[in-house]
Amino acid sequence: MQDTGVHLREVRKSFGAAEVIRGVDMDVRRGEFAVFVGPSGCGKSTLLRMIAGLEETTDGKIVIGDRDVTDEDPVDRGVAMVFQSYALYPHLSVYENMAFSLRLAKRPRAEIDEKVREAAGILQLIEHLDKKPGQLSGGQRQRVAIGRAIVRAPDVFLFDEPLSNLDAELRVQMRLELARLHQKLGATMIYVTHDQVEAMTLADRIFVLQGGHVQQSGAPLDLYDDPSNRFVAGFIGSPSMNFFDAVVEAQTGQGVTVRLTGQPDLPLDIVLADPPAPGTEIVLGIRPEHLAVTDGEGLRVTVDVAEELGGVSYQHGTLEGGDAVIFQQIGARHEMHGTVQTVVPEPGRAFAFDRSGTRIR
Amino acid sequence: MSKSNRRRRELRTAALLTAPFLILFSVFFLYPTYKVIALSFTDSPLIGEGNWVGLANYVELFNDRLFYTSLWNNFYFVLLTVIPTTVIALLIALAVSRLKGRTQALVLTMFFLPYVLPVSVVTMIWSWMLDFQFGILQPLIEAVTGKPVPVFKNPYWVMPMIAVVTIWWTNGFNVLLLIAGLRNIPADLYEAAALDGATPWQRFWRVTWPLLWPVTALVLTLQLILQLKIFDQVYLLSGGGPFNQSYVVLMQMYREAFQLNNGGYASAVAMVLFVLIVVVSILQYQLLRIGGRK
Repeated sequence: MQDTGVHLREVRKSFGAAEVIRGVDMDVRRGEFAVFVGPSGCGKSTLLRMIAGLEETTDGKIVIGDRDVTDEDPVDRGVAMVFQSYALYPHLSVYENMAFSLRLAKRPRAEIDEKVREAAGILQLIEHLDKKPGQLSGGQRQRVAIGRAIVRAPDVFLFDEPLSNLDAELRVQMRLELARLHQKLGATMIYVTHDQVEAMTLADRIFVLQGGHVQQSGAPLDLYDDPSNRFVAGFIGSPSMNFFDAVVEAQTGQGVTVRLTGQPDLPLDIVLADPPAPGTEIVLGIRPEHLAVTDGEGLRVTVDVAEELGGVSYQHGTLEGGDAVIFQQIGARHEMHGTVQTVVPEPGRAFAFDRSGTRIR
Repeated sequence: MSKSNRRRRELRTAALLTAPFLILFSVFFLYPTYKVIALSFTDSPLIGEGNWVGLANYVELFNDRLFYTSLWNNFYFVLLTVIPTTVIALLIALAVSRLKGRTQALVLTMFFLPYVLPVSVVTMIWSWMLDFQFGILQPLIEAVTGKPVPVFKNPYWVMPMIAVVTIWWTNGFNVLLLIAGLRNIPADLYEAAALDGATPWQRFWRVTWPLLWPVTALVLTLQLILQLKIFDQVYLLSGGGPFNQSYVVLMQMYREAFQLNNGGYASAVAMVLFVLIVVVSILQYQLLRIGGRK
């Protein structure tokens, strides 16, 4: 099977004077499920539309498989796209929506019928083939949009926030269906979302975008366990990581001892290969699940909101200095709302960042 | 408060709110309509009472050769205007919708400008431009036909030229309707079509045309009604001549009523045109809707 990966080299995009994609390099390998994730305005949708050919590439090179497609028309790129709005043709039946591209390509009637029915079978749309999009539910419309992409048998599937118009329950269900579909088809897929849970659950490889740059890319858990900067650390993980200002007190053999600003009672040992000098101001990042309630010395948190989800609970509160803190409790169901709790970070689970946000390792 | 009391209060409010319209509608539409129908069965002059003559006016009308001439001229005019103006408006709308921001607003305003002119100004402009001796369009006509043509005095030229003037005058409104229709078609449908491999031509016929059809059908129907009521331009440009070649139904009604003082007969002409417009426009709209649903 030929290489159907997607490769971007120094890709840039400007709208007038505003540069929204500022030199992106990436490799999505054949059959990989890649997810572009980032806050609104980070350029992830623009990047996807550039791969689709719906936006011109200002500079750089886009290669699909072994073909340079930078200046090719959308139809010649071997990609199919599923739009956030589904973009179904409202005047055509489900069948005709899915058959549209094949009809334009003047394929034989029997072939069209076979392909449409096959896709409809995969997506459980057989009994809806004669309906118009207006008669379908959101989830069904979404499936038609996916079916329209499947019928074209593209090398690369592109999804632009496909689940964001669905309600929460359906979103979870469609997420699973997409994962199964990817296993079944084995095609290269690129998926854009602002929802990091979707990114974590679907992706083989996540590309975190912000400000027109790829901040970090890698397997979901690699990003979670080893973020390369403060933005990625804060963006991946829900609820997001706690950040505390801290000062390096002394260098130890394996790292440094730091104290949080406003929390002079608690020295923390951080393991670092390249420890900064004493007196350096750093930022410490600790995930909510790595803060454990203790009876001894620790950070005193006044809990003001407790989110009890049954299995886990998230306790939102403030430190004595006023910094916001979230910590997670599993199984335990004590009424922490309004109480003061003492928590300590699990050893070895804190990340250190310099003031500009770069990870200190 | 009792239930009936509340109901009475609601009825009073409803009556109060609908009364202004009902009164105006009755005085200025319902009563005149009744009057026209009643008049058409009498031999009354324009002002004053007449005698009941039953269907005599209608019988006379259907034996009136001039009535058939004007009826034919009406249909000829509809043929010359309705579809051409819709096609031209669609082409302009498609072109204008490709423009962006202020340029689009400016161009749209320019196309709409003739529509705000009163008919007398429009006909004045065009009778000057087409003046046999001094008109700036005569050299163009001369270039095509080899000699200048007094267009509003020529039996072959008169109706097509009135149609040209009418299209120029009213086209902006149709452009506006079609632009609104085009804006309602989501941009991502075109993107999806581009990814599906549709050429610009296929994008028009497979996406734009079917999705714009409701608006196109509306424009066609409005135009049909409007152009069947043709009068002002004919009256001002050619007066119905030459040789009755631009004599239309409303022209006949006007002459019978206001020049020949035959109020009853003129009412019968008006009634026939009224029924004709209702039937034709309902028929057309239904046909267009069926065409769109297919």
